Amino acid sequence: MRRIRRLSHQLVAALVVAVLPTRAATAQWSQVYEQFYLQAPHNWTFRTEYSHADRLFNAFDYGHAILYETLWRKPDAPASRLEEKEYAFLVNRVLVRPPRNPLEEAAIEPMYARLAPEAKMMFDWAHVLHRQLYDVLADERLDRAAKDREVQRIIAYYKSRPDLAFSSRPKSMALMQEQPYSLAFRKRYPKFNGLIWGYHWLQIGLYEPLVTGTTREARQAGVRATVSRFFQMLQDAPTHMPHQMPMTPAVAPAFAARYPEAGIIFDNLHSMHDVVSDILTNPAVPRDRKRAEILRAARLFKDDTSYVMGSTEAWVRMSQHMGVENMGGPAVGFLPSMPTPTVTYGAVMTHDDRTGEMTGFKYGSATGGDHAAHGAPVSGGAGADAHAGHGAAAPVPAPAGGHEGHAMPAAPSAPTAPAAAAAAAFQLRMLGDSLIRARVMADTAMHRLAMEAMQAMPPEQRAEVMQRMHGAGHDHGAMHGAAGAATFTPPSRRGATPRPRRTPKAAAPGGTTPRAGVSKPAVPTPAPTRDPHAGHGTHRP
Amino acid sequence: MPHQSRRLALVAAALLSARASLGAQTDYFNTDAGRPLTIEDAYALERRSIEIQGAPLRLERIRGGQYRWGIEPELSVGLFPRTQIEIGVPLVFVDDPSRGDRRAGAAGVDMSVLYNLNRETSLPAFAVGVGALLPAGSLGPRDPYGNAKVVMTRTFPAFRVHANAQATFGPRLSLPAGSPDPVGGNTLELSRWLAGVAVDRTLPLRSMLLAAEVFARAPLVRGQPLEWNAGVGTRWQANVRWAMDAGVGRHLTGDDRGWYLTLGGAYAMGWPWRPARR
Repeated sequence: MRRIRRLSHQLVAALVVAVLPTRAATAQWSQVYEQFYLQAPHNWTFRTEYSHADRLFNAFDYGHAILYETLWRKPDAPASRLEEKEYAFLVNRVLVRPPRNPLEEAAIEPMYARLAPEAKMMFDWAHVLHRQLYDVLADERLDRAAKDREVQRIIAYYKSRPDLAFSSRPKSMALMQEQPYSLAFRKRYPKFNGLIWGYHWLQIGLYEPLVTGTTREARQAGVRATVSRFFQMLQDAPTHMPHQMPMTPAVAPAFAARYPEAGIIFDNLHSMHDVVSDILTNPAVPRDRKRAEILRAARLFKDDTSYVMGSTEAWVRMSQHMGVENMGGPAVGFLPSMPTPTVTYGAVMTHDDRTGEMTGFKYGSATGGDHAAHGAPVSGGAGADAHAGHGAAAPVPAPAGGHEGHAMPAAPSAPTAPAAAAAAAFQLRMLGDSLIRARVMADTAMHRLAMEAMQAMPPEQRAEVMQRMHGAGHDHGAMHGAAGAATFTPPSRRGATPRPRRTPKAAAPGGTTPRAGVSKPAVPTPAPTRDPHAGHGTHRP
Repeated sequence: MPHQSRRLALVAAALLSARASLGAQTDYFNTDAGRPLTIEDAYALERRSIEIQGAPLRLERIRGGQYRWGIEPELSVGLFPRTQIEIGVPLVFVDDPSRGDRRAGAAGVDMSVLYNLNRETSLPAFAVGVGALLPAGSLGPRDPYGNAKVVMTRTFPAFRVHANAQATFGPRLSLPAGSPDPVGGNTLELSRWLAGVAVDRTLPLRSMLLAAEVFARAPLVRGQPLEWNAGVGTRWQANVRWAMDAGVGRHLTGDDRGWYLTLGGAYAMGWPWRPARR
C-alpha cells in the first residue's frame, strides 16, 4: 500500500513537473524519436549469410548496455563488479551463446536510457548503419558498383537524421581522451575497456574480409578468420586486447579507403562510446551533471566544426601512427600470434590535428617496437616472429616533446655478404606478394623490422627492396631517421596487385556516378608523409 | 431485430474497444493495446515503419458456452516522428449453439492515431491518442464512436509501469431489462471510460516481455455496473521481422466472469519508398 502511495505521489509530481515549464523540466524534456532502417532487398543479408558473426553483434549490444547501466546505477560498486562478474558473464555466456536477435538495449540499460535517451539513440542509429553496411557488402547479388551505390545510399539515409548522426568529418582524438573526465574508464576497468575495444575492432574489422574477399568462399573464410581472431584477443585479458582504440584505417584499411565516410563515422561512434564510459565512471563529474556532459559530447560529435582534423588524410595518418599493433592488429592477413603492442595499455598519443602526425605521449609510454623509439631504445634485429622483438624494451616514459630526443638503437652488426644477399632475396620474394606487402606496410612494427633488415643489404639490393616496398620514386633517404615516409596503401580488392585508391565515381564501372544529393566522401589521396615510426631503430639522427 | 442488431454492433465495437488498436509496434518491447494486454505503453511505432497484423485473434468464452471470435487485419504506419496511424477492419464470428446463432461479418472500420509527447528521462513518457470506430459491415455499429486516451510510461530498474485512461464518445446504449443477450455484450463492451495499469518485465537476452494488468471500465450500456478485469501476457521477438504475443485475461466482477485469450503476430518492415532528399 505504501508502495502504491509512493508511486501515485511520483506520478502526480511528474505530472506537475511536466505541466510547469521549469528549467529543470525543460532540460529533461526529450523528443528524440526512433526511425526504421532503410528498407532494401539486402536487409538482413549478413544475418543470413554470416549468422555466427551477426549474432556476436547482438552480444556486443548486451555488453555495451550492461556497461552503461552498471556504471550509472552502481557508481560505488567495486571494480570487480564489471571486471570480474559482468566480464565473466559476457565472455563465458553471452559471447559463447550469443542471442539470436538484435537486443533491445533499453531493456538492459533502462536507467541509462532514461539518463540520456538522445545519446542512446545516436548509438542505436549508428549501429543500424553498421548492420546495413554489412548487409550490402554481404549481398552476393550486388556487384562492386552496386555495392558502392548502396553504401552511399545508406550513408545518405543515415545522415538524413542530423539529430542522431555522427559527423562524417574526422574528429581529433583529443575529443575522446583529452577532456577533463577522460581516461577514467580505461584506468579503472582495463579488462572491460579492452573488451569494448575488442568489440569495436571486430565491428570495423569485419568489413575488411567482405571488401577484400574476391569470391564468396573467400569472404566466408575471411569473416570466420576475423571472428576467430577476435576470440584470440580475449585470452589472457587484457594482454592481447587492443591497447588503443581501434581505428578503421589501421584495422580495415581497404574498407576505409573505399568508404572513408563510413569509417570516419564509425571511429567517431566508437570514440563517443569511450567518452560516455569516462563520463559515467569519473566521479569528478557529479551525477547531476552526467546528462549535461553526455549531451555536450554528443553535440560535439555530431557537428562538423568541433575538434575536426585537417583532412581525411590526416585521419588516416593519425591511425597509422597510433600503430595497428596497438589496436589488436589488422583484421585480415594477420600472423598466427597476436601482435605485441608497442605502447602501454591505454596510452594517449598526441597528434597534430592538421597532419595527423604523432607528436608525443600525454599519458602512458612506448614499450617497444617503433613506438619505443619515441623515448626508449629497443633491441634491433628480427626474430623468428615479426612480433618477437616487440615489447623487448622495458617501458620508459616518452619525452614530452615527442620526437625530439628520441634515442635510436644501435645498428645491428654487419652480416656476411652471402647472408645479406640471401636476406635481400627473401625480402624481395616476400614483398612480391601484395598481401604480405600490404600487411608489412600496415604494421609499423613489421615495417620497422623490414627496414632494419634492409640496412645489412648491399646498396643496389637495398634500393630494389625499398622500391618494391614503397614503390618507384620513393624518397629513400626520408625513410631513415626521424623523417620517415609511408603511404596509405590498402590491400587491393583482388589481392593481387595493389592499386591506387579510386574515387567512388571511378570505382563504379559503367561510369556510374553517385546519386545527386548524396554527399560524396573525400577520398584520402596517397601522399608521401612523415612517419615517425618508419626507420626507427636503424640510424641515429 | 433492432435489439439484436444493436447487440451485434455492440459486440463488434467491444472487440475493438478491448484492444483499441491492434498492432503498431516494431518489436516485442513496444507494447500496444490488445497485443496482448489492453494497457499499452506511451511509445509510438518507429518513423518510416510499417507493421502488418495479419490475423490477430481474440477468443472469448462467455456464459452459457458461447464463444466469440474476432480477428482484425490491420495496418500501422509510423508516418511522422513519434506518431503512428492505424487502420483496421475487425471481423467478428459469433457462435451460440444454444440459440443456433452463428454469424460472421465485418464489424466496422477502426482508425486511430497515437502521438508520443516525449521520451522518458527523469520525466515519464507521455502520449495522447484519438480513435474512431466507424459503422461498416454487417456486424458494425450503427453509430460512429470516437475515443481519446492518455498514456504514461515510467521505467524502473526491474520493470516498467504503464497507465492508461480512455474515454469514449458516442450514443449510449439501452438494452431492455431481461432482454436476451446471445452474444454476451456485457463482457466485451465499449466503455464510457477505461482506466488501468500494467507492469511488465523484460527478459532481454530472450527478447521476451512478461506483463500483467488490471483495469476498470464503465460499460457503454446503461445500467451495467463497473467492471474490473485482469490479464497476463507475453510478447516475444521470434526473429527480426516477427513479434508474437499471447495473453489471457478474466473479468473479475459482474455476472459474467468469463475469460478471454489473445494470440497474434506482427510483421514489421520499412517504407518501401525512399525518404525525401534533404
